[in-house]
Amino acid sequence: MRHVPTIASRELRSLFVSPVAYAVLTLFVLLAGFFFLSSLLQFEEYILRMQQFQYFDQMKELNLNDHVIAPFIGVMSVVLLFMIPGITMGLFASEKANHTDELLLTSPLTIWDIVLGKYLAAAAFVTLLVALLALYPGILLLYGDPEIEKTLAGLLGLWLVGLAYAGIGAFASSLTRNQIIAFAFSFVLLLVLWMLSFLADLGAAGGAIGSATGIADVLRWLSTAEHFERFVKGLVDTADLAYFGVLVASALVLTKFAVESVRWR
Amino acid sequence: MIEARGISKRYGEHVAVDDVSFEVTRGEVVGFLGPNGAGKTTTMRILTGFLPPTDGTALIDGHDMLTDPLQARRSVGYLPEMPPLYPEMDVEGYLRFVAAIKGLPRGARKQAVERTLARCGLLDVRRRVIGSLSKGYRQRVGLGQAIIHEPPVLILDEPTVGLDPVQIREIRALIASLAAPGPDGIQHTVILSTHILSEVEAICQRVILIHRGRKRLDAPLAQIVQGGQGLEAVFARETARDEATAPEAASA
Repeated sequence: MRHVPTIASRELRSLFVSPVAYAVLTLFVLLAGFFFLSSLLQFEEYILRMQQFQYFDQMKELNLNDHVIAPFIGVMSVVLLFMIPGITMGLFASEKANHTDELLLTSPLTIWDIVLGKYLAAAAFVTLLVALLALYPGILLLYGDPEIEKTLAGLLGLWLVGLAYAGIGAFASSLTRNQIIAFAFSFVLLLVLWMLSFLADLGAAGGAIGSATGIADVLRWLSTAEHFERFVKGLVDTADLAYFGVLVASALVLTKFAVESVRWR
Repeated sequence: MIEARGISKRYGEHVAVDDVSFEVTRGEVVGFLGPNGAGKTTTMRILTGFLPPTDGTALIDGHDMLTDPLQARRSVGYLPEMPPLYPEMDVEGYLRFVAAIKGLPRGARKQAVERTLARCGLLDVRRRVIGSLSKGYRQRVGLGQAIIHEPPVLILDEPTVGLDPVQIREIRALIASLAAPGPDGIQHTVILSTHILSEVEAICQRVILIHRGRKRLDAPLAQIVQGGQGLEAVFARETARDEATAPEAASA
């Protein structure tokens, strides 16, 4: 494990000389600005309407957390679905395309050195994305008073979602030498993982495979959306933390096997 | 220094390397010959630990590649057929990275990088991005990554392919100098594969010829050319020997 930082720092430096990192950063910040502004404007319009109709009781219920920050963080988690595969697609695929996998695998490194080093680099990038995103709710602190704890819980949820996506993206990248395929594959995996709870809801509504069999519960537990939403509501539960821990760990173990597989194919 | 004991590699039905054994002693430069698809690259990949053999073992400097892989890999420098370069890195940064992953202690890396830059003639391009270098320079960087940690064993897969005659001569001189006992007291053992027979005659003391995964010839160069026959004639004879008996394998 000694070489994890060496691999990670090389990966990060390569990421930042490639246009991909800057494209992702720029798009991400632009989209964040757009969605932040739109949820803010919607909130404003909502208040105006309530005033017009003189719904003063309901106006007391309005707050920045539920009407601006939560929807904003929610929509950004969907944006991550597109962005993170862009960052992770090259992690392993580009090594094969450059033939540098032959360098890494004939050097005195363990497979874990390589996998964890690369994952760490992707995780650092995710952290940067979430830190940039935190600036937007931060602006609200200047003009209003959102609940800080609830906001932080939401950001923590987003960070964990990002870390899980990075793990899955790394796995997808380890399966191919083509970055486009790696991107598409990780996007599909993430989308399915995200949508599992919708599938569960459909089943429950139709009543066919419904909650009676427990399948719906399992699907819901597997879905990232389900766990993420609890963070956004301000609930930091060890069960949800454990879910993301398990997700990242399994993705990395699978990646390790995929990288190693060149040895037994 | 290098010991291959009954190495075989099978991919399903296809046998890429079939029970190859040989030993190379310190300071020897061995030319590894064979037609395309003979199993040269596979054998080299097994010796460097990139691929495990289906049967047999490879020992590098006394370390078994399967049971003691980290120590064995530390003792090998490997230049694959395609030099393993990160096109977006600069030459110096790349070599510094390789020095680190090859296990050189932090304090020794800077000196190792400087020595390698000088030895491979890369001082002028040290800050250039690898992707912008010519093929000849890229090959030198590839050779640099193989020798930066002063490994006792060097395995070079077609080190001069695609270079112009001047570059070929430079790389050959460099390889020859690596096998000679240098001022640092390190004498490399070299296996190099090539199609250029004159290259073997220029720098190798010994020839191992494999054909269809089997070792066909293993003899000192002097002994082979002694009877007045050229290396080319020997190569042609050995690779043509059973052409008639097993023509279906030729496609492999």
